[in-house]
Amino acid sequence: MKSENTSSIKKLKKQENIIGYLFASPWLLGITLLGAFPILASLYISFTTYDMISAPTFIGLKNYIILFTNDTIFWKSMWNTVYHVMISVPLGLVTGISLALLLNNKIKGMSVYRTMFYLPNVVSIVAMALLWMWLFQPNFGVINELLSPIYKLFNMEPLQWYQSASTSKITLILMGMWTAGGSMVIYLAQMQDIPVSLYESAEVDGANWIQKTIHITLPLMTPSIFFNFIMGIIGGFQVFTIAYIMTNGGPSRSTYYFAYYMFDKMMTDHSMGMASAMAWILLIIILIITTFALRLNKRVVYLGEES
Amino acid sequence: MKKLLLFLVVSMVAVGLLGCDKDTTSDKTEIIFWHMSPVGSESYSGMKTIIADFNDSQDLYYVKGVGFSFWDYWDKLSVAIASRTAPNIGLSTIDDVVSRASSGALYDLSTLMDADTSGVNTIDLNEFRQSQMDFATYEGDLYAMPFTATTRALYYNLDMFEELGLTEADVPTTWSELKTIAKMFDVVENGEIKRLGFDPTYGDATYHGWLWEAGLDFFDDNLDPTLNTQGHIDVMNWILDFNDDLTRAQLTAFGEENTLLGLNPFASERVAMIIGNDGLYQTIINSGATFNYDVAMIPIPDENGVHVNWGSGFSIEMYNNGNDTDAEVQGTYEFLKYLLSSDVQLELAEVNGWIMSHISAMDIYVENKPIMQKLLVEVDYARDKVYVPYAPSWHGNDWQPYYTQILNGELTPAEGLAAARANYLEKQENYNSVN
Repeated sequence: MKSENTSSIKKLKKQENIIGYLFASPWLLGITLLGAFPILASLYISFTTYDMISAPTFIGLKNYIILFTNDTIFWKSMWNTVYHVMISVPLGLVTGISLALLLNNKIKGMSVYRTMFYLPNVVSIVAMALLWMWLFQPNFGVINELLSPIYKLFNMEPLQWYQSASTSKITLILMGMWTAGGSMVIYLAQMQDIPVSLYESAEVDGANWIQKTIHITLPLMTPSIFFNFIMGIIGGFQVFTIAYIMTNGGPSRSTYYFAYYMFDKMMTDHSMGMASAMAWILLIIILIITTFALRLNKRVVYLGEES
Repeated sequence: MKKLLLFLVVSMVAVGLLGCDKDTTSDKTEIIFWHMSPVGSESYSGMKTIIADFNDSQDLYYVKGVGFSFWDYWDKLSVAIASRTAPNIGLSTIDDVVSRASSGALYDLSTLMDADTSGVNTIDLNEFRQSQMDFATYEGDLYAMPFTATTRALYYNLDMFEELGLTEADVPTTWSELKTIAKMFDVVENGEIKRLGFDPTYGDATYHGWLWEAGLDFFDDNLDPTLNTQGHIDVMNWILDFNDDLTRAQLTAFGEENTLLGLNPFASERVAMIIGNDGLYQTIINSGATFNYDVAMIPIPDENGVHVNWGSGFSIEMYNNGNDTDAEVQGTYEFLKYLLSSDVQLELAEVNGWIMSHISAMDIYVENKPIMQKLLVEVDYARDKVYVPYAPSWHGNDWQPYYTQILNGELTPAEGLAAARANYLEKQENYNSVN
């Protein structure tokens, strides 16, 4: 009787696996045919010199050696990108969590507020960039107009925002915060899952809002915080569009990010081999950082009580 | 219900299939032509008519035109050439034809011309400037033909001149005259520029353009970067000192106001003089401006100045994707000849407002257009920039960051030029080590 049950369970599991693979087959085929081939091709091209017209010529590791040892702009673009990631990821987390905490209330019209904060995520990035160019325009932009009393108070020159190499990176990061509503939605969803009984128990013990936030909300939100952290790092290292539209990588290459340089290597220098090598370097950097972050997973992320 | 649904689906499929049937073109060889007159552009209908006229005259070939905006065109073409999905024929930049020809991406037009005995629209090479055709020549053969003949000139606002009691005789011809006259037009109110006489960084003015006028260049004959002479520094200082009574922040703000408002500073009468190409003539017409203006040669240095301007014309070329049939190649060549014929070049000039490459056709085109006549004279002084394999964008991405730093005062001219030169040398070394 027992062996009969075991074999039917095995049969069911097999059937379930087949159905699973069948459902996943479009994606599996897609990743194999449309994903794996270009990925492997780019790996090969990274070991070649290839102007995108003539046939690629194998040159071994030369592209990598040049990038690491004799390409000043490579390091400049790398620093710009690391700077962007280091500031924008923590700032994005804090902004997203803060918004979520503010909007996790049962007051009238809350859904309207939530929609308003999420709305920037559905605006075209080109339109967003142009809008912010107007706002941040140093001479007639609204932001400097609003800040003019502060400038007068401290007797300082108006900030040049994206027009100055010293403030351009921060300007683009601040602009990026406008879309923090995207992560806010994820945080809010997780907050809704936190059992009310925990808050009730805390209230019985006399906990205030800050104590409840620190000891209940934030620990239970760590899975979504961690998810947004990882996604933020990946997205941060790929930053490109906003600089391409707003600053053309300038001024003085201060917003010339890694992905921008990679794009120029391909499109303007016609050096596909070098661009592919850069793509693989970027992939490895992201892999290392993500692996390191995942190792922290068990230590910093609350994954539920062990049974 | 099911029957009704089935009937509807079958009917829609049938109507769709009927709609797809092009009985006039199905037996013709299709030629794809990429141009810069996308749907919605002012030149779209004109370009469509030109293509339709060719199609009406053909029994064997059918040209399908695909228009992209100028800004989208280049990336799309680069990717298409790389992936061997380029159109049969399209426009490109004439200064780097050699790079495409040497890689086998283009058909040898000389061979096609030699084999052409049809007598229809035969290309008369005497109708095209040798200086342009030299750029389209690789190993003695033509791999492209000049399509447009872009030129740059000094546009000046005659009404503003008259307002200050100046006449056409006062139009500057040298750098020192330019500065003296320009300063008369400046209007600054509360620290904000309301009107500017001239700025050597506005419009189509470029550092390499000014260098050429001073008999200098970015590269020597071996394509090694120069930029390290006192002459280069002097030209840069002239640019920096031109509006030294104004701050760079004021000039940048003034320029950005125009950009953000989508205004051409000359067409909107915010500058008295500007360097512009022949396209500015059309821009002024399109903007509905009513002021009087004229064009002249770009002022040259007071001593040993060279009358020259940056051309940057388009080429027309046939792309070799490696799988084209003989009929496609022949049909494309017939269309190329058609586009380069006198009548069509005239039509193209009317449609786009460009100065085309056909010399006689342009003589006719400018007959009743005094400003265009002067621009056409400047075409003979136009020069294209050299193609540098290790830095194809030497005048753009590679140069602009240093130029901006110098203009903003972050680097002195000597420091900025030295840094730019070091970058070119690094690129040259890296390129040579893998090619």
